[in-house]
Amino acid sequence: MTDIEAPGAAGTQVPFTDGEFTVGQRSQTQLVLRRFLRHRAAVISLVVFLLIALWAFVGPYFWHYSYRKFTPDNSQSPSWKHPFGTDSSGYDAYAQVMRGTQTSLKIAVMIALGSTLVGAVWGAMAGFYRGVVDAVMMRIADLVLTLPLLAIALVISSRSGGSWYWIALVIAGLTWAYVARVVRSSVLSLREKEFVEAARALGSSDARIIFRHLLPNALGPIIVNATVLVATGILTETALSFLGFGVQPPDTSLGLLVAQAQTAVDTRPWLFYIPGAFIIAIALTVNFIGDGLRDAFDPRQQRVRQ
Amino acid sequence: MLAYTVRRILVSVPVLIASTFIVFLVVVNSGDPVANFATSRQPAPSKAAVQAFARHIHADQPVLERYWNWITGVLHGDFGPSVQTNLNIGHDLFTRFRVTVTLVAAAMLIALILSVLFGAFSAIRQYTAADYSITFVGFLFLAMPVFWFAVLLKQAGIWINEKTGSQFLGTIGEKSPYLNVDTPWNEFVDRIGHLALPTITLALVSFASWTRYTRASMLEVLNSDYVRLARAKGLRRGRVITRHALRTALIPLATVTALDVASILGGAVVTETIFQWHGMGEMLVQAASTVDVYRLMAWLLLSAVVVIVFNLLADLLYAVLDPRIRYD
Amino acid sequence: MRAHPSALARGLTLAAGLVLALAACSSGGGGGGSGSGTSAGLTSCTTKGKADTCNSGATKAGGTFTYVLEKNIQQWNVQDANGNTFENGEALGVVLPQVFVPQPDLTVALNTDLVTSATQTGTGPQTIVYKINPKASWNDGTPITADDFVYYWRTNDGKDCPPPPASDATQTKGCLPQSTAGYDRVKSVTGSDGGKTVTVVMAKPFSDWKSLFGAGYPLYPAHVAEKLSGAKTGDAAHMTAAQMTEGWQYFQKTPPTKYATAGPYKMQQWVDNDHATYVPDPKWWGAHKPSLQRLIFKVITDATQEPIALQNNEVQGIYPQPEVDLVKQVKDIPNVTYTIGNGLNWEHFDLNLHNPVIGKYKALRQAMFTAISIKDIVSKTVGQFDPKVNHLGNHNFVPGQAGYQDVVTATGQGSGDLAKAKKYLTDARFTGVGTALKTPDGKTVGPFNCRYTTGNQIRQSECQILQSNLASLGIKVTIKPIGAADLGTVLVGHQYDIIVFAWVASPFPSSNAQQNWVTGGGGNYGGYSDKTVDKLVAQAVGETDQTKAAALLNQADKIMTDDAYVLPLYQKPTFLAVQTRFVNVRDNATNVGPPYNTAEWGLKK
Repeated sequence: MTDIEAPGAAGTQVPFTDGEFTVGQRSQTQLVLRRFLRHRAAVISLVVFLLIALWAFVGPYFWHYSYRKFTPDNSQSPSWKHPFGTDSSGYDAYAQVMRGTQTSLKIAVMIALGSTLVGAVWGAMAGFYRGVVDAVMMRIADLVLTLPLLAIALVISSRSGGSWYWIALVIAGLTWAYVARVVRSSVLSLREKEFVEAARALGSSDARIIFRHLLPNALGPIIVNATVLVATGILTETALSFLGFGVQPPDTSLGLLVAQAQTAVDTRPWLFYIPGAFIIAIALTVNFIGDGLRDAFDPRQQRVRQ
Repeated sequence: MLAYTVRRILVSVPVLIASTFIVFLVVVNSGDPVANFATSRQPAPSKAAVQAFARHIHADQPVLERYWNWITGVLHGDFGPSVQTNLNIGHDLFTRFRVTVTLVAAAMLIALILSVLFGAFSAIRQYTAADYSITFVGFLFLAMPVFWFAVLLKQAGIWINEKTGSQFLGTIGEKSPYLNVDTPWNEFVDRIGHLALPTITLALVSFASWTRYTRASMLEVLNSDYVRLARAKGLRRGRVITRHALRTALIPLATVTALDVASILGGAVVTETIFQWHGMGEMLVQAASTVDVYRLMAWLLLSAVVVIVFNLLADLLYAVLDPRIRYD
Repeated sequence: MRAHPSALARGLTLAAGLVLALAACSSGGGGGGSGSGTSAGLTSCTTKGKADTCNSGATKAGGTFTYVLEKNIQQWNVQDANGNTFENGEALGVVLPQVFVPQPDLTVALNTDLVTSATQTGTGPQTIVYKINPKASWNDGTPITADDFVYYWRTNDGKDCPPPPASDATQTKGCLPQSTAGYDRVKSVTGSDGGKTVTVVMAKPFSDWKSLFGAGYPLYPAHVAEKLSGAKTGDAAHMTAAQMTEGWQYFQKTPPTKYATAGPYKMQQWVDNDHATYVPDPKWWGAHKPSLQRLIFKVITDATQEPIALQNNEVQGIYPQPEVDLVKQVKDIPNVTYTIGNGLNWEHFDLNLHNPVIGKYKALRQAMFTAISIKDIVSKTVGQFDPKVNHLGNHNFVPGQAGYQDVVTATGQGSGDLAKAKKYLTDARFTGVGTALKTPDGKTVGPFNCRYTTGNQIRQSECQILQSNLASLGIKVTIKPIGAADLGTVLVGHQYDIIVFAWVASPFPSSNAQQNWVTGGGGNYGGYSDKTVDKLVAQAVGETDQTKAAALLNQADKIMTDDAYVLPLYQKPTFLAVQTRFVNVRDNATNVGPPYNTAEWGLKK
């Protein structure tokens, strides 16, 4: 939860003028894509991430055990029948890890999408209008930042039975303020740029300036931030599950699986290491993807080799 | 600048009031400590005891009245009654804050030093094996759930103790309940031994993310015109890096650190639970899970003040260090 | 499987190097001990008749024993409704005296250090005479006398020191005893023979008279309360309510480091949230002089951290709730002995009779309970680390207690016998048996919720097995965890159809029965009400002959079992693990816990 992007880290300037120097018209998207594909670690990560997601969402249809059905085999180590072993109630860990990955991914993606959408618009408006609007909006963001996740999650988990979307909503509802801060600081410097002045001179409406000029130009940091939020989202859910405020059984998540297996490190290691490895794999690949995107959006960081 | 600071502090007051009010409503509605008390003891407490308990924790008053009384009480230094009827919330709060500060200070200091070193090194040696390894290790730590790592670290700690035949590393608490030979030196060693594992746990996550920041902003600076100019003028590379580049590159790190430290001071919940440090994090978990509203409010008050102060600090730092941003 | 990512491994090696350098100067204790003696350790504790004597041995002087408390102690008056916690009882039992002490075999034993005899000398009216040990005294030199008994009685009877009035904003100006049971029936407590003989005369007979002045709720020093409240010393009989309140509050707020105590140890230091340090009390007059140099109770609130602390020799004894991995983990620690005992806690399914369908049809309840297979439940849960766990057949007694009689098995409840379960339903003219169950008047049965406290995996499995068992009857069950802070709300507000949790049986079953099964009882959350049961339990409470009292309770239990209100599942296992270099530490499943005999704990000779 500590690595939420803050102002200034990712480019405050955007390769707006690149077009002037390239031969033939290339859209910015193409440029970004080309640069992204050049980042080998990011591309490999993207493939791995997509494979994991595919496995988690499609796999259950082809697997002969359900995550919520007992099998007669209690606490068995991995075998052909149960590739990831079973837990003490006889649940097939393979089915559970699939389901857990699914839930964790859903939560993480929803956190990233939700908080990014709200945060970006919020931050852009605050940065664009400045003055009183900015002060009020950012104080509201500050207010959100002071709310303790645990206390709110507790309430929700006791009211909602710990379903994944409530947990995602709570986390998103408390993280958008970070995004708003990042976007606002980007917008603060963007709005002083000539192209904004020009748009204004041409009589563009405020909404048009915000949505057509400011936000697209801040897209780099926003997207990079969103990937980071996917990674932190998974870890936040894990921490909540560890404290008992996350997803509740009979549903499961990777965080819940690892939390339940804390004591099993030595005795039934498959229950502890496998879901843990999946958490790491997801967060790791997402971070690499984010890194690739950062480089792609902000080529100034790629130093000319000496 | 001064006017801005004063204004921000004044604006923070309504933020605090709104925040505490929201949380108060949320927590009061999240469960019923009176019912919990009535069912948590065997034999079940008498009706009179349950009633007295309800009145003691003000559960019999309307919510708005409770909130108002709480605010006025806090202004007089009274944090209200806890569900744990004998607990003095104010005393508890400050004891725990001290514990958390001890833990966090050590971890953050280590994380900061290491991340600046590794981050800068990584940027200077961009696209070398060293850069790739630092990046990978950083991402690995970022991807690891804290408690997953802590559980492994504990195992490693025990293994070290067994191999060395000592009991240097502690797995629970701040210090041993007693020492065979009670000298200041032994006490110091004992405390270090108890600090080691939780500090490593806490430091690693921050280390990983701050390394990334240092690297990113260092790269940005190294590619900037003025650094190129300085190099073109013939300044030595080492001098350019330390005197010009690094200083500028640390600006964003300063603000990030300020924000991160603020949020960790609210309690390194997982780390504190696993290593049984009785700090702010444990206070939050206990208060939340026992619907101890006044205790949670006290926690919130302190951590919100910390967050607000550090946020302000971050903004000011940003303005001071980066002249492109103006606050007027 | 165990391979670390290489970077992590490298990091650890690095840290290890650092540590090595510092470790040389560490002051650490003595490692796991070298116990390879002949004592079987705790392993023999479950053998019949061995509970009170297993892991015995001669001790040698010295040593520090650290035992784990699972909760912090906020409130030091264990007689108080709020201070009535297991941890408080454990911590105070070391320093404060009590008349009868619950033993590992679930009986009670007379504490002859405090009283040389306690006898019921008459039944009309019931009269009990205690002869206080002439050597017994508080460690400030004040002898223990009848005055301490009088003070205890008057603060606990609910009348002489009444609950705080509504006008008291802080609600602290009064006494709120954890239970007035027995004390409210006492007519008089008088001292004679220089205060060394105590005669208690009851106004109404009380079956569990051995629970008075002890059984986990020790005596506090009356003279301390008298002195601080300005009452006449040695005259607790004439203390005013206000004066008693002052004493009551003082004992709530003050750890026993600050006042005169009377135990084998005295509490030297209490560090809030962390630990209590005890050292042998030189004033101790008792038969067993402690051999330990120091006894420490360390607070560890997360049970999963306990085995690691034990392995690292930071604690020497742990008493957590057992669970598969925890047991295996401890098994692998060298020089540690452990036992899995049958506790007094017992797990059960409760039906909420406030639910109109469940409350109305006895046949439905009987069918539900019959369909549940306790055998499956055990094998998926506690059976995996404790093969001895058995179906519990009584609501008041556990096997090993004198009154135990299996009244449940014969009814078929808990057998998982689907044919029998279905027969109950068809006989009562339910339709859709096995598919979608409907009541005789055509209403759909269920879906019912099965509730358990979140995070408890064992209970989660129990609900799931119940879910599949009841599905075979055509009843849908949804599983709904109870939030960490919500159990009370759910119980008191009847927000459940089926709930699984645990009760604690006690050496004094009739008071418990009055709480849990009698109409309107404090623990009767599901709303059971039967006139005959009420009457039988009331008789049992007033019956001075223990055997007769037990027979009455069992008679009531048969009626209640037939009504299918609560299905007992099994006795919850307890788990004690201790380093083998220490002896005389034993599991005690009662409310006093393993520290019932700390005076005897010590290093093996």
